Amino acid sequence: MTTLYDRLGGAPAMDAAVDIFYRKVLTDDRISRFFDDIDMERQAAKQKAFLTMVTGGPAHYTGADMRRGHAHLVAQGLDDSHFDAVIELLAGTLTELGARPEDIAEVGALANSVRDDVLGREAVKA
Amino acid sequence: MITFEGKTFALQPGQTVLAGLEEAGVAVETSCRAGVCQSCLMQVVEGAPSKRSQQGLSPSQLARGLFMPCVCAPEGDLTVARAGDAHQRVEAEVHSLEPLSDSVLRVRLKPLAEFAYRPGQFVRLITEDGLVRSYSIASTPEVAPLVELHVRLIPGGKMSGRLKGSTAPGDRVMVSGPSGGCTYDGVESDQPLILAGAGTGLAPLWGVLHDALARGHRGPITLYHGALDEGGLYLREELEALAGRHAHFAYRPCLMDRGDDLLAIVKADPELKRAGVYLCGDAPLVERLRKTLFLAGARLADIRADAFAAAA
Repeated sequence: MTTLYDRLGGAPAMDAAVDIFYRKVLTDDRISRFFDDIDMERQAAKQKAFLTMVTGGPAHYTGADMRRGHAHLVAQGLDDSHFDAVIELLAGTLTELGARPEDIAEVGALANSVRDDVLGREAVKA
Repeated sequence: MITFEGKTFALQPGQTVLAGLEEAGVAVETSCRAGVCQSCLMQVVEGAPSKRSQQGLSPSQLARGLFMPCVCAPEGDLTVARAGDAHQRVEAEVHSLEPLSDSVLRVRLKPLAEFAYRPGQFVRLITEDGLVRSYSIASTPEVAPLVELHVRLIPGGKMSGRLKGSTAPGDRVMVSGPSGGCTYDGVESDQPLILAGAGTGLAPLWGVLHDALARGHRGPITLYHGALDEGGLYLREELEALAGRHAHFAYRPCLMDRGDDLLAIVKADPELKRAGVYLCGDAPLVERLRKTLFLAGARLADIRADAFAAAA
Protein backbone atom coordinates (compact mmCIF):
# COMPACT_ATOMS: atom_id res chain seq x y z
CA MET A 1 0.00 0.00 0.00
CA THR A 2 1.39 3.40 -0.91
CA THR A 3 1.51 6.12 1.69
CA LEU A 4 0.08 9.61 1.26
CA TYR A 5 3.69 10.77 1.22
CA ASP A 6 4.30 8.71 -1.94
CA ARG A 7 1.03 9.77 -3.56
CA LEU A 8 1.79 13.45 -2.99
CA GLY A 9 5.12 13.00 -4.74
CA GLY A 10 7.59 12.14 -2.00
CA ALA A 11 10.49 14.34 -0.92
CA PRO A 12 10.26 16.91 -3.75
CA ALA A 13 6.59 17.56 -2.93
CA MET A 14 7.47 18.30 0.68
CA ASP A 15 9.14 21.61 -0.30
CA ALA A 16 5.86 22.80 -1.79
CA ALA A 17 3.99 21.48 1.24
CA VAL A 18 6.27 23.40 3.61
CA ASP A 19 5.76 26.61 1.62
CA ILE A 20 1.99 26.33 1.93
CA PHE A 21 1.95 25.16 5.54
CA TYR A 22 4.58 27.61 6.85
CA ARG A 23 2.82 30.57 5.18
CA LYS A 24 -0.44 29.57 6.89
CA VAL A 25 1.30 29.23 10.25
CA LEU A 26 3.06 32.61 10.03
CA THR A 27 -0.15 34.44 9.16
CA ASP A 28 -2.50 32.74 11.63
CA ASP A 29 -3.12 35.09 14.56
CA ARG A 30 -3.81 32.19 16.90
CA ILE A 31 -0.32 30.73 16.63
CA SER A 32 1.99 33.06 14.69
CA ARG A 33 3.52 34.46 17.90
CA PHE A 34 5.18 31.10 18.56
CA PHE A 35 7.03 31.50 15.26
CA ASP A 36 8.27 35.08 15.62
CA ASP A 37 12.02 35.68 15.70
CA ILE A 38 13.03 32.17 14.82
CA ASP A 39 15.44 31.01 12.17
CA MET A 40 13.27 30.36 9.13
CA GLU A 41 15.65 27.90 7.46
CA ARG A 42 15.80 25.74 10.58
CA GLN A 43 12.06 25.98 11.07
CA ALA A 44 11.41 24.98 7.45
CA ALA A 45 13.62 21.91 7.91
CA LYS A 46 11.65 20.93 11.01
CA GLN A 47 8.33 21.42 9.26
CA LYS A 48 9.54 19.32 6.36
CA ALA A 49 10.38 16.53 8.78
CA PHE A 50 7.00 16.95 10.48
CA LEU A 51 5.05 16.86 7.21
CA THR A 52 7.10 13.86 6.08
CA MET A 53 6.25 12.05 9.30
CA VAL A 54 2.50 12.75 9.33
CA THR A 55 2.10 11.75 5.67
CA GLY A 56 3.79 8.42 6.34
CA GLY A 57 7.20 9.21 4.85
CA PRO A 58 10.64 8.38 6.21
CA ALA A 59 10.98 10.44 9.39
CA HIS A 60 11.87 9.18 12.81
CA TYR A 61 10.66 11.44 15.57
CA THR A 62 10.36 9.98 19.04
CA GLY A 63 7.99 11.16 21.75
CA ALA A 64 11.04 12.43 23.64
CA ASP A 65 12.09 14.57 20.65
CA MET A 66 8.60 16.06 20.57
CA ARG A 67 8.68 16.84 24.28
CA ARG A 68 12.12 18.43 24.17
CA GLY A 69 11.40 20.39 21.00
CA HIS A 70 8.25 22.02 22.36
CA ALA A 71 8.99 22.41 26.08
CA HIS A 72 9.97 26.10 25.68
CA LEU A 73 6.68 26.74 23.84
CA VAL A 74 4.63 24.97 26.51
CA ALA A 75 6.30 27.34 28.97
CA GLN A 76 5.06 30.20 26.78
CA GLY A 77 1.49 28.92 26.97
CA LEU A 78 1.22 26.38 24.13
CA ASP A 79 -2.01 24.43 24.68
CA ASP A 80 -4.70 22.34 22.97
CA SER A 81 -6.20 25.33 21.17
CA HIS A 82 -2.88 25.98 19.41
CA PHE A 83 -2.43 22.30 18.63
CA ASP A 84 -5.94 22.24 17.12
CA ALA A 85 -5.09 25.29 15.01
CA VAL A 86 -2.00 23.53 13.63
CA ILE A 87 -4.05 20.42 12.76
CA GLU A 88 -6.55 22.66 10.97
CA LEU A 89 -3.80 24.37 8.94
CA LEU A 90 -2.27 21.00 8.20
CA ALA A 91 -5.62 19.77 6.81
CA GLY A 92 -5.93 22.93 4.71
CA THR A 93 -2.42 22.41 3.34
CA LEU A 94 -3.12 18.80 2.37
CA THR A 95 -6.41 19.79 0.73
CA GLU A 96 -4.56 22.36 -1.40
CA LEU A 97 -2.10 19.65 -2.39
CA GLY A 98 -4.95 17.45 -3.57
CA ALA A 99 -5.12 14.90 -0.75
CA ARG A 100 -8.38 12.96 -0.28
CA PRO A 101 -10.59 13.54 2.79
CA GLU A 102 -9.85 10.02 4.10
CA ASP A 103 -6.10 10.72 3.81
CA ILE A 104 -6.53 13.95 5.72
CA ALA A 105 -8.45 12.19 8.48
CA GLU A 106 -5.65 9.65 8.76
CA VAL A 107 -2.99 12.37 8.95
CA GLY A 108 -5.04 14.14 11.61
CA ALA A 109 -5.11 10.94 13.67
CA LEU A 110 -1.35 10.50 13.28
CA ALA A 111 -0.69 14.11 14.30
CA ASN A 112 -3.04 13.70 17.27
CA SER A 113 -1.02 10.72 18.46
CA VAL A 114 1.82 13.08 19.43
CA ARG A 115 -0.43 15.68 21.05
CA ASP A 116 0.41 14.72 24.65
CA ASP A 117 4.13 14.65 23.90
CA VAL A 118 4.05 18.06 22.19
CA LEU A 119 2.06 19.58 25.04
CA GLY A 120 4.29 17.93 27.64
CA ARG A 121 1.56 15.83 29.29
CA GLU A 122 1.35 12.26 30.50
CA ALA A 123 -0.46 10.18 27.90
CA VAL A 124 -4.15 9.84 28.73
CA LYS A 125 -5.85 6.58 27.81
CA ALA A 126 -8.94 7.22 25.74
CA MET B 1 31.69 17.27 30.14
CA ILE B 2 33.95 18.47 27.34
CA THR B 3 37.22 16.74 26.50
CA PHE B 4 39.83 18.61 24.49
CA GLU B 5 43.48 17.64 24.00
CA GLY B 6 43.32 15.29 26.98
CA LYS B 7 41.78 17.86 29.35
CA THR B 8 38.21 17.44 30.56
CA PHE B 9 36.05 20.19 31.97
CA ALA B 10 32.38 20.77 32.77
CA LEU B 11 30.10 23.31 31.14
CA GLN B 12 27.61 25.46 33.04
CA PRO B 13 23.99 24.82 31.99
CA GLY B 14 23.49 26.63 28.69
CA GLN B 15 27.17 27.47 28.33
CA THR B 16 28.62 27.00 24.86
CA VAL B 17 31.58 24.77 24.06
CA LEU B 18 33.46 27.88 22.91
CA ALA B 19 32.86 29.70 26.20
CA GLY B 20 33.94 26.60 28.10
CA LEU B 21 37.12 26.22 26.07
CA GLU B 22 38.02 29.86 26.55
CA GLU B 23 37.33 29.63 30.27
CA ALA B 24 39.71 26.65 30.33
CA GLY B 25 42.38 28.81 28.70
CA VAL B 26 42.16 27.39 25.18
CA ALA B 27 42.73 30.00 22.45
CA VAL B 28 40.17 29.66 19.65
CA GLU B 29 40.05 31.82 16.54
CA THR B 30 36.66 33.56 16.51
CA SER B 31 34.85 36.36 14.79
CA CYS B 32 31.06 36.56 14.80
CA ARG B 33 30.49 34.22 17.77
CA ALA B 34 26.95 33.74 16.47
CA GLY B 35 27.10 30.61 14.35
CA VAL B 36 27.57 32.35 11.03
CA CYS B 37 31.18 32.94 10.06
CA GLN B 38 32.63 29.47 10.79
CA SER B 39 35.87 31.01 12.12
CA CYS B 40 35.76 28.83 15.23
CA LEU B 41 34.91 25.59 13.40
CA MET B 42 36.03 22.48 15.33
CA GLN B 43 35.74 18.76 14.88
CA VAL B 44 33.76 16.41 17.08
CA VAL B 45 35.61 13.19 17.90
CA GLU B 46 32.95 11.64 20.11
CA GLY B 47 29.42 12.67 21.04
CA ALA B 48 26.76 14.74 19.29
CA PRO B 49 27.04 18.50 18.80
CA SER B 50 23.78 20.50 18.83
CA LYS B 51 21.89 20.75 15.53
CA ARG B 52 22.22 24.52 15.63
CA SER B 53 26.00 24.23 15.66
CA GLN B 54 26.02 22.42 12.31
CA GLN B 55 23.45 24.54 10.56
CA GLY B 56 24.67 25.90 7.24
CA LEU B 57 27.63 23.54 6.99
CA SER B 58 28.24 21.71 3.74
CA PRO B 59 27.70 17.94 3.41
CA SER B 60 31.48 17.43 3.31
CA GLN B 61 31.95 19.49 6.47
CA LEU B 62 29.21 17.48 8.19
CA ALA B 63 30.81 14.24 7.03
CA ARG B 64 34.00 15.33 8.80
CA GLY B 65 32.09 16.06 12.01
CA LEU B 66 32.73 19.79 11.95
CA PHE B 67 30.60 22.09 14.09
CA MET B 68 30.58 25.65 15.43
CA PRO B 69 31.40 25.62 19.17
CA CYS B 70 30.19 29.24 19.56
CA VAL B 71 26.56 28.10 19.28
CA CYS B 72 26.92 24.60 20.69
CA ALA B 73 25.48 24.03 24.16
CA PRO B 74 25.50 20.23 24.01
CA GLU B 75 23.17 17.97 25.94
CA GLY B 76 25.68 15.19 26.38
CA ASP B 77 29.43 14.72 26.65
CA LEU B 78 31.64 15.79 23.76
CA THR B 79 35.21 15.12 22.77
CA VAL B 80 36.38 17.81 20.38
CA ALA B 81 39.52 18.59 18.40
CA ARG B 82 40.88 21.45 16.40
CA ALA B 83 39.84 21.25 12.77
CA GLY B 84 43.17 22.17 11.28
CA ASP B 85 42.10 21.30 7.78
CA ALA B 86 38.62 22.74 8.11
CA HIS B 87 39.31 25.40 5.49
CA GLN B 88 41.69 26.14 2.73
CA ARG B 89 44.06 28.64 4.26
CA VAL B 90 46.35 30.49 1.93
CA GLU B 91 48.55 33.53 2.04
CA ALA B 92 47.53 36.36 -0.27
CA GLU B 93 49.16 39.55 -1.44
CA VAL B 94 47.20 42.80 -1.34
CA HIS B 95 46.98 43.79 -5.00
CA SER B 96 45.04 47.03 -4.69
CA LEU B 97 42.94 49.13 -2.31
CA GLU B 98 40.50 51.48 -3.94
CA PRO B 99 37.63 53.52 -2.47
CA LEU B 100 34.28 52.74 -4.13
CA SER B 101 32.49 55.36 -2.00
CA ASP B 102 33.07 57.28 1.23
CA SER B 103 32.26 54.14 3.17
CA VAL B 104 33.33 51.21 0.98
CA LEU B 105 36.85 50.09 0.10
CA ARG B 106 37.46 47.65 -2.76
CA VAL B 107 40.25 45.28 -1.72
CA ARG B 108 41.74 42.99 -4.35
CA LEU B 109 43.86 40.09 -3.19
CA LYS B 110 46.16 37.83 -5.12
CA PRO B 111 46.23 34.38 -3.49
CA LEU B 112 49.76 32.98 -3.49
CA ALA B 113 48.48 29.41 -3.79
CA GLU B 114 45.49 27.80 -5.47
CA PHE B 115 42.29 29.12 -3.85
CA ALA B 116 39.00 27.74 -5.21
CA TYR B 117 35.74 29.59 -4.58
CA ARG B 118 32.36 30.48 -6.06
CA PRO B 119 31.29 34.14 -6.43
CA GLY B 120 28.97 35.10 -3.57
CA GLN B 121 30.73 32.94 -0.98
CA PHE B 122 32.66 34.61 1.81
CA VAL B 123 36.17 34.37 3.21
CA ARG B 124 37.89 35.29 6.43
CA LEU B 125 40.79 37.72 6.42
CA ILE B 126 43.29 36.95 9.17
CA THR B 127 46.05 39.32 10.23
CA GLU B 128 49.35 38.28 11.77
CA ASP B 129 48.15 39.14 15.26
CA GLY B 130 45.01 37.04 14.91
CA LEU B 131 42.32 39.57 13.98
CA VAL B 132 39.64 37.81 11.89
CA ARG B 133 36.81 39.31 9.84
CA SER B 134 34.53 37.83 7.18
CA TYR B 135 33.97 39.42 3.77
CA SER B 136 31.93 38.34 0.76
CA ILE B 137 33.59 37.68 -2.57
CA ALA B 138 32.49 39.95 -5.42
CA SER B 139 34.82 38.57 -8.08
CA THR B 140 34.34 35.70 -10.53
CA PRO B 141 37.34 33.33 -10.75
CA GLU B 142 36.93 32.70 -14.50
CA VAL B 143 36.84 36.43 -15.22
CA ALA B 144 39.34 37.88 -12.75
CA PRO B 145 42.16 35.98 -11.04
CA LEU B 146 42.03 38.35 -8.06
CA VAL B 147 39.75 37.85 -5.07
CA GLU B 148 37.72 41.04 -4.73
CA LEU B 149 36.16 42.10 -1.42
CA HIS B 150 34.06 45.17 -0.57
CA VAL B 151 35.03 46.33 2.88
CA ARG B 152 32.63 48.59 4.73
CA LEU B 153 34.56 51.28 6.56
CA ILE B 154 33.13 51.19 10.06
CA PRO B 155 34.08 53.97 12.52
CA GLY B 156 36.24 52.19 15.09
CA GLY B 157 36.27 49.03 12.96
CA LYS B 158 39.49 47.16 13.59
CA MET B 159 39.99 45.40 10.28
CA SER B 160 38.52 48.12 8.06
CA GLY B 161 40.55 50.77 9.91
CA ARG B 162 43.70 48.77 9.33
CA LEU B 163 42.97 48.13 5.66
CA LYS B 164 42.29 51.81 5.03
CA GLY B 165 44.95 53.28 7.30
CA SER B 166 47.99 51.06 7.28
CA THR B 167 47.75 48.49 4.49
CA ALA B 168 49.48 48.92 1.13
CA PRO B 169 49.71 46.93 -2.09
CA GLY B 170 52.24 44.16 -1.64
CA ASP B 171 51.34 43.51 2.01
CA ARG B 172 50.46 39.95 2.94
CA VAL B 173 47.33 38.64 4.68
CA MET B 174 45.98 35.17 5.35
CA VAL B 175 42.74 34.16 3.69
CA SER B 176 40.69 31.21 4.86
CA GLY B 177 37.53 29.72 3.47
CA PRO B 178 35.48 29.95 1.40
CA SER B 179 32.10 29.42 3.10
CA GLY B 180 28.48 30.12 2.31
CA GLY B 181 25.94 28.98 -0.25
CA CYS B 182 24.78 32.30 -1.69
CA THR B 183 25.97 31.35 -5.19
CA TYR B 184 24.62 30.94 -8.72
CA ASP B 185 23.93 27.25 -8.31
CA GLY B 186 20.72 25.26 -8.52
CA VAL B 187 18.78 27.79 -10.59
CA GLU B 188 17.28 27.24 -14.04
CA SER B 189 18.89 29.36 -16.77
CA ASP B 190 15.52 30.85 -17.72
CA GLN B 191 14.35 31.41 -14.13
CA PRO B 192 13.93 35.06 -13.09
CA LEU B 193 16.53 36.19 -10.53
CA ILE B 194 15.92 38.73 -7.80
CA LEU B 195 19.08 40.03 -6.13
CA ALA B 196 18.37 42.25 -3.14
CA GLY B 197 20.62 43.75 -0.51
CA ALA B 198 21.87 46.87 1.17
CA GLY B 199 25.28 48.39 1.81
CA THR B 200 28.15 45.97 1.11
CA GLY B 201 25.52 43.27 0.64
CA LEU B 202 26.15 44.34 -2.95
CA ALA B 203 29.46 42.41 -2.96
CA PRO B 204 28.02 38.87 -3.10
CA LEU B 205 25.16 40.08 -5.33
CA TRP B 206 27.70 41.61 -7.73
CA GLY B 207 29.52 38.25 -7.73
CA VAL B 208 26.32 36.26 -8.38
CA LEU B 209 25.21 38.72 -11.08
CA HIS B 210 28.47 38.46 -13.01
CA ASP B 211 28.55 34.69 -12.57
CA ALA B 212 24.98 34.43 -13.92
CA LEU B 213 25.78 36.63 -16.93
CA ALA B 214 29.02 34.77 -17.62
CA ARG B 215 27.12 31.46 -17.58
CA GLY B 216 24.58 32.77 -20.09
CA HIS B 217 21.62 33.18 -17.75
CA ARG B 218 18.57 33.93 -19.91
CA GLY B 219 15.83 34.80 -17.39
CA PRO B 220 15.27 38.40 -16.27
CA ILE B 221 17.61 39.57 -13.50
CA THR B 222 16.77 42.49 -11.23
CA LEU B 223 19.22 43.86 -8.69
CA TYR B 224 17.79 45.98 -5.86
CA HIS B 225 20.43 47.89 -3.93
CA GLY B 226 19.32 49.70 -0.81
CA ALA B 227 21.23 52.62 0.69
CA LEU B 228 20.54 55.50 3.03
CA ASP B 229 21.34 58.10 0.38
CA GLU B 230 23.10 58.58 -2.96
CA GLY B 231 26.48 58.35 -1.26
CA GLY B 232 25.77 54.73 -0.33
CA LEU B 233 25.17 53.60 -3.91
CA TYR B 234 28.58 52.41 -4.97
CA LEU B 235 29.30 50.83 -8.38
CA ARG B 236 26.25 52.67 -9.66
CA GLU B 237 27.71 53.71 -13.01
CA GLU B 238 29.01 50.21 -13.66
CA LEU B 239 25.61 48.70 -12.86
CA GLU B 240 23.80 51.23 -15.06
CA ALA B 241 26.22 50.48 -17.90
CA LEU B 242 25.66 46.75 -17.41
CA ALA B 243 21.89 47.28 -17.56
CA GLY B 244 22.42 49.23 -20.79
CA ARG B 245 24.31 46.31 -22.33
CA HIS B 246 22.03 43.51 -21.13
CA ALA B 247 18.34 43.90 -21.93
CA HIS B 248 17.38 41.24 -19.38
CA PHE B 249 19.20 42.93 -16.47
CA ALA B 250 17.62 45.79 -14.52
CA TYR B 251 19.24 47.83 -11.74
CA ARG B 252 16.98 49.36 -9.10
CA PRO B 253 18.65 51.58 -6.51
CA CYS B 254 16.47 52.18 -3.43
CA LEU B 255 17.21 55.29 -1.38
CA MET B 256 15.81 55.59 2.11
CA ASP B 257 16.21 59.39 2.19
CA ARG B 258 13.99 59.54 -0.90
CA GLY B 259 11.36 57.51 0.94
CA ASP B 260 12.04 54.24 -0.89
CA ASP B 261 11.06 51.15 1.09
CA LEU B 262 13.32 48.32 -0.02
CA LEU B 263 11.03 45.62 1.41
CA ALA B 264 7.92 46.98 -0.32
CA ILE B 265 9.76 47.49 -3.61
CA VAL B 266 11.24 43.99 -3.78
CA LYS B 267 7.97 42.46 -2.62
CA ALA B 268 6.24 44.06 -5.64
CA ASP B 269 8.55 42.30 -8.13
CA PRO B 270 6.18 40.59 -10.59
CA GLU B 271 8.45 37.51 -10.86
CA LEU B 272 8.66 36.88 -7.11
CA LYS B 273 6.73 33.60 -7.11
CA ARG B 274 9.04 31.74 -9.46
CA ALA B 275 12.29 33.66 -8.97
CA GLY B 276 15.58 32.55 -7.53
CA VAL B 277 16.00 35.07 -4.69
CA TYR B 278 19.33 36.23 -3.24
CA LEU B 279 19.35 38.34 -0.08
CA CYS B 280 22.54 39.90 1.29
CA GLY B 281 23.35 42.45 3.94
CA ASP B 282 23.05 42.95 7.69
CA ALA B 283 21.23 40.11 9.43
CA PRO B 284 18.12 42.04 10.62
CA LEU B 285 17.40 43.33 7.11
CA VAL B 286 18.01 39.96 5.50
CA GLU B 287 15.69 38.18 7.93
CA ARG B 288 12.92 40.77 7.40
CA LEU B 289 13.32 40.44 3.63
CA ARG B 290 13.20 36.66 3.88
CA LYS B 291 9.94 36.65 5.82
CA THR B 292 8.31 39.39 3.77
CA LEU B 293 9.18 37.83 0.41
CA PHE B 294 8.19 34.34 1.54
CA LEU B 295 4.79 35.56 2.74
CA ALA B 296 4.39 37.43 -0.56
CA GLY B 297 4.84 34.18 -2.48
CA ALA B 298 8.55 33.44 -2.93
CA ARG B 299 9.39 29.76 -2.50
CA LEU B 300 11.44 29.11 0.61
CA ALA B 301 13.75 26.67 -1.17
CA ASP B 302 14.47 29.37 -3.77
CA ILE B 303 15.66 31.94 -1.23
CA ARG B 304 19.42 32.05 -0.65
CA ALA B 305 20.71 34.47 1.91
CA ASP B 306 23.95 35.77 3.31
CA ALA B 307 23.27 37.59 6.57
CA PHE B 308 26.21 39.62 7.87
CA ALA B 309 26.90 39.49 11.59
CA ALA B 310 28.41 42.71 12.88
CA ALA B 311 31.76 42.90 14.68
CA ALA B 312 33.74 46.01 15.59
